[in-house]
Amino acid sequence: MIKKTIALTLAALVGLSVLSGCKNDEEDNGSGTSGKKGVTISVVTSFGGDDGNRQNYEKAYQAFEKATGNKVSDNSQTSNETWKSQVMADFQTGAEPDVLFYFNGVDSNKLIQDKKVVSIDEIREVYPDYADNMKDDWMGASPVDGKNYSVPVNGFWELLFVNKKVLSDCGVDIPGADYTWEQFLKDCETIKQKGYTPIAASLFEVPHYWFEYTVFNHGNPENHLEVPSSATDAIGKKWQAGMEDIKTLFSKGFFPSNTLTAKDADTFQLFADGKAAFAIDGSWKLGWFTGTDNQAGNVDNIDDFTICFVPGSGERKATDIIGGISMGYYITRKAWDDPNKQKACVDFVEAMTTDEVVSAFGVTNVTALKNGTIVPDDVDSMTKRAIDLMQELTATVPAVQDQLTETARKALFADIQNVVSGKMTAQQAIASALDKNK
Amino acid sequence: MGRSNQRKRFSAGKLLIYLITSFWALTTLYPFIWVLLNSFKERRFIRSNSFSLPLGEAFTLDNYKVTFERFDIFPAYRNSIIISVSVMAVVIILAGLAAYALARYRFPGKSIIQALILASMMFPVFSTIIPVFRMMYNWGIANTESVALSLLSVILPQIAGNLSFAIIVLRGFIQSLPIDLEEAAYLEGCNIFGIFFRVILPLARPSFATVAIFSFLWSYNDLFTQLFFLRRKEAYSITLLLNEVNSQAGVNYGLLAAAVVLVVVPVVIVYIFLQKNIIKGMTAGAVKG
Amino acid sequence: MDNDSMIFKKKGPLLVFLLPALAFMALFLYYPFIMNIVNSFYQITGLGNSPEQLNQPWYANYQRLFEDPYMATALKNTLILMITTIVFQVGIALILALLIDNIKKGVQFFRTVYFFPIVISATALGLLFNLIFLYDTGMVNQIIQSIKPGSELIDWYDENHFLFTMLLPVMWQYVGFYFVIIATGLNNISPEIYEAARVDGTSGFQRVWYITLPLLRNVLCTCLTLAITGALKVFDLPWVMFGAGMPLNKSWLTGTYMYDITFGYADVDYGSAIAIVIVVLGVVISMLANRIFRERDI
Repeated sequence: MIKKTIALTLAALVGLSVLSGCKNDEEDNGSGTSGKKGVTISVVTSFGGDDGNRQNYEKAYQAFEKATGNKVSDNSQTSNETWKSQVMADFQTGAEPDVLFYFNGVDSNKLIQDKKVVSIDEIREVYPDYADNMKDDWMGASPVDGKNYSVPVNGFWELLFVNKKVLSDCGVDIPGADYTWEQFLKDCETIKQKGYTPIAASLFEVPHYWFEYTVFNHGNPENHLEVPSSATDAIGKKWQAGMEDIKTLFSKGFFPSNTLTAKDADTFQLFADGKAAFAIDGSWKLGWFTGTDNQAGNVDNIDDFTICFVPGSGERKATDIIGGISMGYYITRKAWDDPNKQKACVDFVEAMTTDEVVSAFGVTNVTALKNGTIVPDDVDSMTKRAIDLMQELTATVPAVQDQLTETARKALFADIQNVVSGKMTAQQAIASALDKNK
Repeated sequence: MGRSNQRKRFSAGKLLIYLITSFWALTTLYPFIWVLLNSFKERRFIRSNSFSLPLGEAFTLDNYKVTFERFDIFPAYRNSIIISVSVMAVVIILAGLAAYALARYRFPGKSIIQALILASMMFPVFSTIIPVFRMMYNWGIANTESVALSLLSVILPQIAGNLSFAIIVLRGFIQSLPIDLEEAAYLEGCNIFGIFFRVILPLARPSFATVAIFSFLWSYNDLFTQLFFLRRKEAYSITLLLNEVNSQAGVNYGLLAAAVVLVVVPVVIVYIFLQKNIIKGMTAGAVKG
Repeated sequence: MDNDSMIFKKKGPLLVFLLPALAFMALFLYYPFIMNIVNSFYQITGLGNSPEQLNQPWYANYQRLFEDPYMATALKNTLILMITTIVFQVGIALILALLIDNIKKGVQFFRTVYFFPIVISATALGLLFNLIFLYDTGMVNQIIQSIKPGSELIDWYDENHFLFTMLLPVMWQYVGFYFVIIATGLNNISPEIYEAARVDGTSGFQRVWYITLPLLRNVLCTCLTLAITGALKVFDLPWVMFGAGMPLNKSWLTGTYMYDITFGYADVDYGSAIAIVIVVLGVVISMLANRIFRERDI
């Protein structure tokens, strides 16, 4: 039996190598005639398997293929650390794609420093209409030189998700545009007395949202993006104060009792199950409630939930929110310098960032579109509410944590559990993170 | 002591044996049953009551329907089988040869080679994967358009990764075989390769089957290497699909359970098939011994 | 141990036997690992980046290993895991294999079933155990509630319980692995030896102690090596269940810590240094163990 298996496998291997030989030949033929008949461009994006926009993405690029006769060789994956390291390794080894959908913050610094991607200005010298449906100031300029390199699709917001049923059972009003931190603390106390968990969050896994807003509450939209140069300067003090606020919430027992050992999915489930009242999360979470084309939402009745502004304090109004645009389409230098591919890449990015496509990717999101997104008529209550909130904004500021390097950010958030449990002071945590911010 | 008395005591011991072994079997079988049952349940019933039977309104086939609709299961099976069977076959041949040499020959540098093999068992794949990627990219194997080459780019490092384990296990086994048969074959005029294929291979069959199972299994379940090298949708393996379902499903445990069942089934089949070889090896050994 | 038989006097065929496997390993394991050793002396700030400059001092990462409290935690936990692995995993596997060796009916069934936990991927098992140990309210807490209604829920992942919650699934999963290896070894012991022993009137325990165990020595030594190296590498199940050192950086293992440093913090050079610790420790400990237990030449 084993011999047979081995023989079969060897046969398969031989077949495989022959097959791969054929494949290469075909490819060579393809590129030989590609000048006229359409080319194949390789694309890497984060619209991989689990992304809520996977289907929209596929629809959009298939439409592009149909319209232009070009082929898209899609290598999209889910965005995570492995993916990021893959993308970077690709550039390192010269295996980069033609078009890349990637982060526009510090994560992409290396690409810009090494001149691996082409700036919008340079593209516009040849294609003046490139990305002309976008506001230039909103495209997400590179921290390296302040120039635009990527064309964004949809941005994000971070807001307070509210379980209406829990609030009404506790006699707490649904927060409005003037919601204050003091009132929030009072409400949490009331909710806790009623036996509910006030705030659903895993401080072990995702303290990010609470850090961002508590720090924001000790500053204002103008200085929110500043990174401290030491843990004890003015900005450092601001960060300390924010982290102390989280510690206060923790010691008052407003987080789930196992917030230091639970996963985010578990704590968010508390919220969905009507055991917790509040949770801060991003625009990407909306689909979790509403569902997508081929998947139902995760809650029985979406009308039991809604979205509100995060309580404000000091100079920050509740309507000043964390949001912005963090990713976009890059054209790589390698593809730009290839006369066969240049136009196809430009066409591709334009096709993927039309008003229609951007709207399909998310109507409620912060957007760089000059005309705004196109809102369909029949939206659910939660999406409707998000769209309404977007009209009331007084300021939209990107997340300051994205100004930190990956390493520093991770170190900072890994230490939040130590700060709230008293194993470390906020100052120590910030100092240790800044130490890694190189 | 009467004969019947002895038999009675004997069966009491047997009963105890069956009790203990069955208890362990229960703990190992239950998770699979749990997954199987929950794959037929609607999502909302899983979290609240994951340890009940999928009856009445809880029962659904939707999880499987959705999995098949949304994911290309069959090409993924094909890719997985190509990868894992190739890895398994190459590993047992190469490891068998090397293990035989290490078990029987005496030569300078042997202990160094053995220490190296042992050491390589511990190389974390996370520390070797990036140099390997660069190397294979330079060879034109990794990160190409071709599905076949993508599969090959997973097969090669996986073979290397499974060799050390296979060599260590096979060497231990071959060493414990009596040498008389080899000597007899030698006297009959067999050369060393003849001895390996005609004497050692059949004798060590159970051990080869064991190694084959593990190579197959580890190759099949090795998410990290596959994640790194298989990027094209057409080259996706079934384990990558599970990973994708996992990230897509979130708390949709029903969908996840269905995917797990679909992933596990081929491995169980391979195991049961190779398991027969272990049994056959046993009876063969008994006759010869 | 080595053989002095005539057959193996000619060394020519050695090349054919050894070269293919060694070539594979050289290319895909040793070469990258040598790169890894080199990397541990350099500063590397990103995955996929090439080494930038020598560390100051060049052994900085090795110095850091000794000062890093999480590394100490990881080593301690891994050592605990290693000991429990040897005692419980190999121990239970040996007992089960010996028991199964004594019965005729259902052998095939048990062999298949014991193997199941290894077949199911870590993602799925992690999910299952997370539901079993779920705080509000998984299987274990449900059972406790039904026995003692109104008692506090137990957080199985907190500082008092995490070691148990982490070790149990790992132990349980790999018993089947050692079972298969030991059972294969048992098959190779010819029944005549047992028959002879039975005629001599030895009891079951005596037979196991004086005949089976000595004959299994090689196989058990293999298991020992595998258990030691395995413990140093354990990654997926603890990672799925505990992630980055939960609770409060207490549950690190060498495998999970190395992964987090390399892929989480992109601290490639320090990660490389940890990888070297893993390998060196594994080789040293398993050589020691083998020196103690390995069969002397008969």
